[in-house]
Amino acid sequence: MDAVMTKDTPIGKKRFFNLELSILIGPVTLLVFLFTFLPLLITLYFSFLKLGDDGMMTNVFTLQNYINAFSGAYGAIFLRSFYYAVQTNIICIIIAFPVAYYITQYGGRWKTFFILMMVIPETTAVIIRIYAVKTMLGKIGVINSLLMAMGLIDSPIRMLYSPFAVMFGLVYYSLPYMILPIYAALEGLNPALLEAATDMGATPIRKFFRVILPLTKGGVFAGTILVFVPALGDYLVPTFLGGSKVMMVGNLVTHKYISAGDIPGGSAFGIVLTALLILVLFIIIKKGGEDALEKVV
Amino acid sequence: MKKNNILLKIIIGLVYFVLWVPVLVVVIFSFNDSKFGVVWKKFTFKWYRTLLDNSALQDSLTRSLIVSVTVVTFSCIIGTLGAYGFYKLKFRFKKMLRIAMLLPIVLPGVVMGGALLVYFQRIAHVPLGYVSIILAQLSWAAPLALFIILGRMQRIDFSWEEAAQDLGASKVRTFFRITLPLLIPAIGASALVVFPWSFDDFVITYFVSGVGNATLPIYIFSQLRFGSTPTINCIGTILMSISISLLLLNMALENKNKRF
Repeated sequence: MDAVMTKDTPIGKKRFFNLELSILIGPVTLLVFLFTFLPLLITLYFSFLKLGDDGMMTNVFTLQNYINAFSGAYGAIFLRSFYYAVQTNIICIIIAFPVAYYITQYGGRWKTFFILMMVIPETTAVIIRIYAVKTMLGKIGVINSLLMAMGLIDSPIRMLYSPFAVMFGLVYYSLPYMILPIYAALEGLNPALLEAATDMGATPIRKFFRVILPLTKGGVFAGTILVFVPALGDYLVPTFLGGSKVMMVGNLVTHKYISAGDIPGGSAFGIVLTALLILVLFIIIKKGGEDALEKVV
Repeated sequence: MKKNNILLKIIIGLVYFVLWVPVLVVVIFSFNDSKFGVVWKKFTFKWYRTLLDNSALQDSLTRSLIVSVTVVTFSCIIGTLGAYGFYKLKFRFKKMLRIAMLLPIVLPGVVMGGALLVYFQRIAHVPLGYVSIILAQLSWAAPLALFIILGRMQRIDFSWEEAAQDLGASKVRTFFRITLPLLIPAIGASALVVFPWSFDDFVITYFVSGVGNATLPIYIFSQLRFGSTPTINCIGTILMSISISLLLLNMALENKNKRF
């Protein structure tokens, strides 16, 4: 009887070891700790180690790996990746708004169909899709054939292995991830507000910047998390479409770890990338509220 | 307004065109008789027939299925427990833990892959193969499943639980007889999201799979490095038909949910 009493009293619930809590929350916490945080901490530690002349890690502390990451060719690759990710994100926002706006305003009963037609291409394996883009941009690919058939160009344009190809690939596979959250935000918009703005004489541009954009901010932030973050660390797009000419951070980290066997170097690049992403996420959470993150999943 | 509308239509048309062309090219050229899939020759099933006696492909497919089914099973169990805990319990550091669990989902594959590779090889001494691939994928799949299930829990009426407990059912009994059946649609939805992600995962798996343990995406990658083969188009077409069916199934489940 006594045991039952203490179990239900508030004091009983404040025990150090809570069975219910540990069964429910324990496994996921353990998993995230063991296979995300611990590996990251170890990466942080390794990133400060010096690579010996024989290619083995030594226990000597050095900042050289970080200096490498910020200078010379590696620094340029970091800068380029950041620039591409920002550009991808902006292009996606610019394309996503008209598309999402059209679907909400004129979609009618075809809304689900429009959305489905956008999601289905996304369900193909990523590798195959990016490879398909490669064939599309190729010398005898769809775009060149089309342009030549229309008589716009005489000889095929060389598009692959250029910054354009990488940007195209990034936008191609991120676009739906920007359109869907913006679409969801626009759907939740009160149409009376738009009418009010028009009645008051706002021009379409003014209406967009003063009414639509502030109210769909959450969607834009959610889309940014889904577009900017994966684009920054992408590996497959620059590998297939950029070749060795347009490398991004993803190629660099992979090269360091797998081809070069330079664990400290790869670790330092990974840590810089992680820090950059956490900074960006932090800014997004500050600006857009925590909802932005919650909306994503 | 009228002019505006036409411009919008052109943009929409272009976006859908660009989204669909590569996919359609894959599907169409999987039936093409020519070896170099750029010129149409004639309709054939022969590339599909070559799939049947490609043992490397079949091995990688089996491996992918084993990995994905295991990952989905464990991530659903861990995710369900965790989501229920997050929904019902109050504890210290709850908010912090919630944000921390977003990290494995948003971190780039190259960072997680590299970190896990070093961790498995140098610290934890996990042999590279099934175990390492499954653990690596679980690290993001379980939190993902948790967030999906948690999101759907907001729409579930849990007063049945109170009713059961008022009638004298124990906590464990209530969980298995009332809560779990209520959660089945949410768990199903998370499985339908996690499975294709796991099946499609390239970067992290590429890092931790070691030698000779290629999953399907890694097999495709290694084939594409040597140039195109029409077989890849066939695999793409088959995978796409499967994922479209899963997508439609997911939508059907969701509609069924709404009716209740």
